[in-house]
Amino acid sequence: MNQNKFKYIFTNRLNILFFAFIFIFSMLLIKIFYLQIIKFEDYSSLAKNNSLKIISIPPIRGQILDVNGEILAENKLVYTLELNPKNRPDLNKIKQRLSNIIEITNYDLKKYNKNFSESSYSSTLPIKSNLTDTQVAKFVANQYKYPEIYLKQKFARYYPKGESGAHFIGYLNRINQKDVKRLKKLNKFDSYIGGDHIGKTGIEYFYEERLHGQPGYKTIEVDAHNHVVRTLKSVAPKHGEDINLNINYKLQQVAEKAFGKYKGAMVALDPNNGAVLTYVSQPSFDSNLFINGIDEVNWRKLNDSTHKPLINRVVSGLYPPGSTLKPFVALAALENNIRRPPFSIIDKGFYNMPNQSKTFRDWKKGGHGEVDLIKAIAVSCDTFFYGLGIELGIPKLNSVLKRFGFGEKTNIDMPNEKRGLIASSEWKKLKYNEKWYQGETAITAIGQGYTQTTPIQLALATAKLINPNNDLRPHLLKESNTSEHMKSNVKASIDQGSEDLRLIKKGMSLVTKEGGTAAFIGRTSSYNISAKTGTAQVFSLKKGEVYDESKLSDELKDHALFIAFAPSENPKIVIAIVVENGGHGGSTAGPIAKKVFDAYLNRIN
Amino acid sequence: MTQSKTHSFLKNIDKILMSLVIFLLLIGLITLASASQQNINLIGNQILNILIGMALLISLSHIDPKRFLFYAPYLYISSLILLLFVVFFGFESHGAKRWISILYFNLQPSEIIKITAPLMLAWIYHRFQNNINYKTHAIAFMLLAIPCAIISKQPDLGTAILIGFAGCIIIFLAGLSTRIIGIFSFSLALSLPYFWSTLHLYQQNRILSLIDPGRDPLGTGYHSIQSMIAIGSGGFLGKGWSFGGQTQLNFLPETTTDFIFSVYGEEFGFLGVILIFLIYFFTLYRSMYMAQKMHNTFSRLIASGLVFTLFSSIFVNIAMVSGIAPIVGAPLPFISYGGTSMVVSLAMIGIIMSLYSHKSLIAN
Repeated sequence: MNQNKFKYIFTNRLNILFFAFIFIFSMLLIKIFYLQIIKFEDYSSLAKNNSLKIISIPPIRGQILDVNGEILAENKLVYTLELNPKNRPDLNKIKQRLSNIIEITNYDLKKYNKNFSESSYSSTLPIKSNLTDTQVAKFVANQYKYPEIYLKQKFARYYPKGESGAHFIGYLNRINQKDVKRLKKLNKFDSYIGGDHIGKTGIEYFYEERLHGQPGYKTIEVDAHNHVVRTLKSVAPKHGEDINLNINYKLQQVAEKAFGKYKGAMVALDPNNGAVLTYVSQPSFDSNLFINGIDEVNWRKLNDSTHKPLINRVVSGLYPPGSTLKPFVALAALENNIRRPPFSIIDKGFYNMPNQSKTFRDWKKGGHGEVDLIKAIAVSCDTFFYGLGIELGIPKLNSVLKRFGFGEKTNIDMPNEKRGLIASSEWKKLKYNEKWYQGETAITAIGQGYTQTTPIQLALATAKLINPNNDLRPHLLKESNTSEHMKSNVKASIDQGSEDLRLIKKGMSLVTKEGGTAAFIGRTSSYNISAKTGTAQVFSLKKGEVYDESKLSDELKDHALFIAFAPSENPKIVIAIVVENGGHGGSTAGPIAKKVFDAYLNRIN
Repeated sequence: MTQSKTHSFLKNIDKILMSLVIFLLLIGLITLASASQQNINLIGNQILNILIGMALLISLSHIDPKRFLFYAPYLYISSLILLLFVVFFGFESHGAKRWISILYFNLQPSEIIKITAPLMLAWIYHRFQNNINYKTHAIAFMLLAIPCAIISKQPDLGTAILIGFAGCIIIFLAGLSTRIIGIFSFSLALSLPYFWSTLHLYQQNRILSLIDPGRDPLGTGYHSIQSMIAIGSGGFLGKGWSFGGQTQLNFLPETTTDFIFSVYGEEFGFLGVILIFLIYFFTLYRSMYMAQKMHNTFSRLIASGLVFTLFSSIFVNIAMVSGIAPIVGAPLPFISYGGTSMVVSLAMIGIIMSLYSHKSLIAN
């Protein structure tokens, strides 16, 4: 090959390579153009995502206080050891590695796994809660060995009263998927970023928004190793508000003690503004069990118990009102000018339906003799009310019951309130596709049959006898005592000084006098108590059988009911009590009411 | 007197090429200062590297190409020995054996091969210049394949391909017939699946994550993604010197060496990228022009071999950091931190200048 030919080929091919070289350089430049100009926004935000992190600062939850500032729910500083579930920690290995410092029990691991499967949410989950000071000190000294375990200091909810008042105070639990869904729907999810507890029941649930507050946040710049380089922006959290209740904790203690081992509910109201003074639901449970997820053993114990301790009986317990309905039935009669005194009957202990052979018995064998409306309330004469009911008819009765709030929620500031039921022929047709029998009207008039009420409804209805035209709405929150928006939509709409009301109250005041069904509590009282006793059948007697308390097992015994207010002349407190399987209202529930009245009226506050 | 001395001292220096190279070196130092987060020691070291490289450049520019011709086989053989030395006695860094320690220096013999292999190939073609046939090409190919094979076993596939590529350019320029080129390309395409199977798993992963960096964003694809984020977030004007978040917050790996272009792109933007592209372009263009003007086979082949070695280094590095090519350890000539790379790159420029200024001396 000669030099010229060689030079020719060389030059030619160098030219080819030169163009290839320009082409390749252009390709590179186009790629850079694509990255820096066309995709600039994307990469810019990716760069920011790399280095900018938003850290939420959870707010401190408000405390729950009673009317005198006694703490019912507070926050305690606790230390927990936490793991980041995203790192997929080997729990058994961690347990082993920690074993010479802190013992992690299988229960702790179980709890961790439970939280892991339920709360989709938190960045870290506790593997050990409530460390003791010694444990904290030991861990801190060895912390360098456990880079994957975080020692966290945080506020945990604590209920100093334990089982006392647990139903109305409620409890917190970890946020679960259902809560997340609900919060997202309400557009409140943002408030929970960085926190992991939420109110589940009671005041904790009802006033969640105020108690919770608003989280703050910090925008920080981090490097590739997640070390904080600097803080760019910081917004302080808005801490939750403290909530003052109308509950008088001293009175609450008296009431709970008076209730003793009985099951049931008791609620006391101030009849002038609807303030809830005590709120008892028995049996109870320790709210503290729930805070970090209740363990299975305790949950089973509470949930499977035949005594149903988790049910908030004041608002969710449905009971036939029994004879405690009679004052309201009587009021309906008077408004319709039926059996107005001096009308009276001679009670021989039973009532025969007109034109029918069916007979209804009075609770008192042999009857009460001559009975007018006032005496009928005082002695709780069934015979009088059977006839009254038949004469009055269900529609007229129901319209009065509705005005006193039966069959409707009271809108108390508690979750899970039940409506109760006032039955009618239309209701029965719809529900059972059966016609209404007149006999059912008769038993409805003495508070048996289909009628169902909650203890809070009974308390509210009783308060309405005192202040029929006030917009009463039972409430635990103290500031609602004066607040406008807390009003109920139900008014009894009667003139407070009307003759009808006076007669009803007269009857109720005689309940605690000699001859009345609760005479024995009046005997020892230094002030006048107006009341109505009631007994609600749990067990229906077959025809011809006689109720014999001593032969029935506890669960089948009648419920004892009691509504009352005192002092009769100038009522300061209204009470409604249901003692499940307590037998007679007067003898079981009456003394409980008496103790609460005594405590309240003798200025325990 | 002094002036004429200086003049003679620099008489073989091509002023245009030199200015372009100095411009690149300055950009490199400025970028390195930011990339190293103002690490004075590192910058000092790099200045020392540049000074050594410059001294070598100037010395080489004075050396008569006859000497290159004479020493080419010895240089080639000694650099092969150094390579073998690496295989047996070299130390490992980042999972590959690439360095050996000589006195106080850590030397990377695969960088030296970048010069001695083209020298050797040019020597062969010069030796048989009157009778270049397929045998000559076959010998040249063999001589190229040996160092490439050793380097790819270090494993340093990037450098092996780079050297192989530059060598093939020499064979191409030496007049390998188009028919053989065709057959060769065809058989290469057919044997690709086989080469794939000989690749190390990490190499396969690198290539796969190039096609889809998201397949393992925290593993193999991580560096590629972070680098693209750095360049992309620079935008048109860049974030400004020392203000590149990707660089300063350590999201970007190896900021001073392999990924220095990403630092540059993040902080100086597309405008800066155009500038550095233009300087690279004119540097290579000027070198090619000089090669084309040379008067003998040896000079032309070495010069163009070296030009395309530089070109492919630049290409591989930028393609790698911008997500076109897989991540292989390849420094950016004149910019990346590193002694051997800097000295070798400057030496190449020195050799090209020598060949250009001595063009008449070994004319046939």
